[in-house]
Amino acid sequence: MNYHPITRRQSIKKLFKISGGLALTGVMTWPFQKTISAWAGSTRKKFIIEGIGQDPEYSVRTLARKVFEAAGGIQKFVSRQDVVVIKPNISWARPPDLAATTNPEVLEAVVELCQEAGAKKVRIADHTIHDARRCFAITGAGMVAKKTGADLVYPRSSLMRNMKLRGHRLDVWPVFLPLVEADKVINLPVAKVHSLSGLTLGMKNWIGAVGGRRSALHQDIHLTIVDLAQFFNPTITLIDATRIMVANGPSGGSRSDVAVSNRLILSDDPVAADAKAAGLFNLQPQDIGFITLGEKWGLGTTEFQKLREHKVII
Amino acid sequence: MKATHLVWIRRVSQAFFLILFIFLLIESRLPQDIYLDYSIALNGEQEIQLDYPVTYFFQIDPLIWITSLISGHQWIKGFGWAFGIVVLTFFFGRIFCGFICPLGTLHHMVSYIRPALKKQDMIHANQKHASQRFKYFLLILFLIAAVLGLNLTGLLDPMAFCFRSLALAVFPGIGTGIKELLDLSAQSDIKILNYISYSGEVLVSPVFGYGYKAFKSAWFMGVLFLFILFLNRIRPRFWCRTLCPLGALLGLLGRFSILRLEKDLEKCTNCSLCLQSCQGAASPIPGQEWDASECMFCFNCFNACPEDAIVFKLRWPKEVSKTPDMGRRAVLGGLLAGLSFPFLGRLDGRVHTVSDARLIRPPGSLPEKDFLKLCQRCGLCMKVCPTNAINPALTEAGMAGFWTPNLIMIQGYCEYTCILCGGVCPTGAIRKLSGKEKIESPIRIGSAHIDRGRCLPWSGNGPCIVCEEHCPTSPKAIRLKEGQSSWLPAGKAVNVKLPYVDLESCVGCGICEYKCPVKGNPAIRVISAGESRSVANQILLKL
Repeated sequence: MNYHPITRRQSIKKLFKISGGLALTGVMTWPFQKTISAWAGSTRKKFIIEGIGQDPEYSVRTLARKVFEAAGGIQKFVSRQDVVVIKPNISWARPPDLAATTNPEVLEAVVELCQEAGAKKVRIADHTIHDARRCFAITGAGMVAKKTGADLVYPRSSLMRNMKLRGHRLDVWPVFLPLVEADKVINLPVAKVHSLSGLTLGMKNWIGAVGGRRSALHQDIHLTIVDLAQFFNPTITLIDATRIMVANGPSGGSRSDVAVSNRLILSDDPVAADAKAAGLFNLQPQDIGFITLGEKWGLGTTEFQKLREHKVII
Repeated sequence: MKATHLVWIRRVSQAFFLILFIFLLIESRLPQDIYLDYSIALNGEQEIQLDYPVTYFFQIDPLIWITSLISGHQWIKGFGWAFGIVVLTFFFGRIFCGFICPLGTLHHMVSYIRPALKKQDMIHANQKHASQRFKYFLLILFLIAAVLGLNLTGLLDPMAFCFRSLALAVFPGIGTGIKELLDLSAQSDIKILNYISYSGEVLVSPVFGYGYKAFKSAWFMGVLFLFILFLNRIRPRFWCRTLCPLGALLGLLGRFSILRLEKDLEKCTNCSLCLQSCQGAASPIPGQEWDASECMFCFNCFNACPEDAIVFKLRWPKEVSKTPDMGRRAVLGGLLAGLSFPFLGRLDGRVHTVSDARLIRPPGSLPEKDFLKLCQRCGLCMKVCPTNAINPALTEAGMAGFWTPNLIMIQGYCEYTCILCGGVCPTGAIRKLSGKEKIESPIRIGSAHIDRGRCLPWSGNGPCIVCEEHCPTSPKAIRLKEGQSSWLPAGKAVNVKLPYVDLESCVGCGICEYKCPVKGNPAIRVISAGESRSVANQILLKL
């Protein structure tokens, strides 16, 4: 078969990055061993921010902005001239009020923030389950793209490329290219219940980033989720829990399946974000297989209380 | 008016209608405007509807109008256009064939551009031929069969034939070729080829379809289409002269045309230039009697005559032309065939006795008997289906239902809120639904059942909930129950979730079958039993 796990160009780039990076850190750190390590130690501490909209008239857009402000501003994650790709969950052709997909207002706010940070290009990419054109239209993602000028990438089969995931369960799997060919990746899932994995949160959102025989992933769902989460490793995860699906997940289909939660959870630790969001469903992080496994394989911590924790209430 | 002007008016008109036809054909797809205002969409007030009246060419077709009227007893909306064509034909003969019909235009182009026959051969080929009566045989067959409840018109009606061939065979065929090329360049390591591939697809997909389109037996439609185009090399506009039932109908109506060909025997030098350019084999040459019902009013003979021996003139009061040469055998044969086909078509028992389990009709389809009275097999619903689930049936619907729409769930599925197929059906064989009606009624197109021998958790081959996960109804029609399964190959007993189908909630959309990881014969399959349109086909006592 004619697949390219990693292209020549990429491998050279990577080589340069590693060797150059090593050389640089070596040179830099040698004289300032102590100060650097102290500085590095302080930044290594990850954060988790919970935004709550208590005011019945609150605007989702403001809440999203406030949450990012609390994390130190979007500039901390997105630099000028970055290509940013946002991975919402717009897999189902369902209107936003059914909570099967990411709230378009949250999506819009994040796209705007990235643009304000000076991103060269903002892309919205998801390999949808239903017909992509209908998903784009009905979930509101198309409208967001039109309003903000972000690129909405159609999941064409030609954009799926076999890549080496180096996972515990998955080795080579077709990956939706735009999600790898970007400087920064923002994971923007919606919080829902799921009949097999328990919940659909940040890490599970990566199932929508691959192609191939996706329905076979369910035969070892937790480990494949962790494999994918480790491969895609987003810059930050913002879980949309403005409204959550509490029954009939992950597709829903009725407003009675939806509960209003008015929350956004932002973290640079994918496991912590999921662990925190599990609380919204009155579940412990240990109840969800992929969260426990994610911690076990070193993707993050379930003890989000130990991170720099913030609450934003408007 | 000078003859050259008339010919040029005809060419402009033909080009206009052919381009319009192809434009509407391309537009028969999910609208490109994905920027729907979601704040309206979420209230269920805005539906995804087509931007253009893609059924236009079926509405101007009098044959579709008349056969739907006599077989389905339905006065179909928008068919005022067809009535207009009838009136037009009454006064101006088969001007529809010469000026409007897109299939006629295609034939005209193939016949006219670099014809295979030279001079004497061409004159010979354009002499009136007894085979031209065959179209009357077909017309009578279709009309009589329609009276008896079998509407076969769409098989050879020029609009349905042209649309079906182009939309299901020609366009997808070209699209497949282009997409293979683009996919090849997408796999390249050279970045610029990747970009070309992506932007190429952005341009090509809206015209030729997203992804690889597939239609059962489309290869045959394509071969048939090419063959019929090829026949123009043997005799110009072979289809229009010999096969077209609409041409036959318009020929009969056009008998009383006030636009008439007048010949001047005195001026004629017998050069036969008129015959050489005649598209309809309507005996334009002075000395023979002009056939009003064969003439397609292309005005070629008028234009070709160097001696002005041929003139088209408006004559009022009307004169009745020569009786159309239908031939007794064609009439009697058409009568006999028309009387027998409807009953032969019912002998496979699909209408009265049992229906094929895999005959899944689009949502909103009428009961089978009424469906066959109206469906033109035009392929519009198949073209418009965003998931490519709707395919032409081969044997599933029996002989009477050849090429009628049938959903194949391993190829696509019926999207829960999608209502495009009903919106485009030109004759109403598929009822126009609203998204709300489809979900709330609910409109069922079948029901799912689980093959426990193949299902992964039931057979002990692994956990899986894919069917339940994708089930779009609320509450879900596929429910999970905790159970024990003896895991292969270790034989260890483990707790698994076993899927069950709740027939009361299942609408038969088929997404479970489409997404099932068990390939080939999926472990969950949809059959037509339980479909709303049939009372006999219900499973549960409660409807």
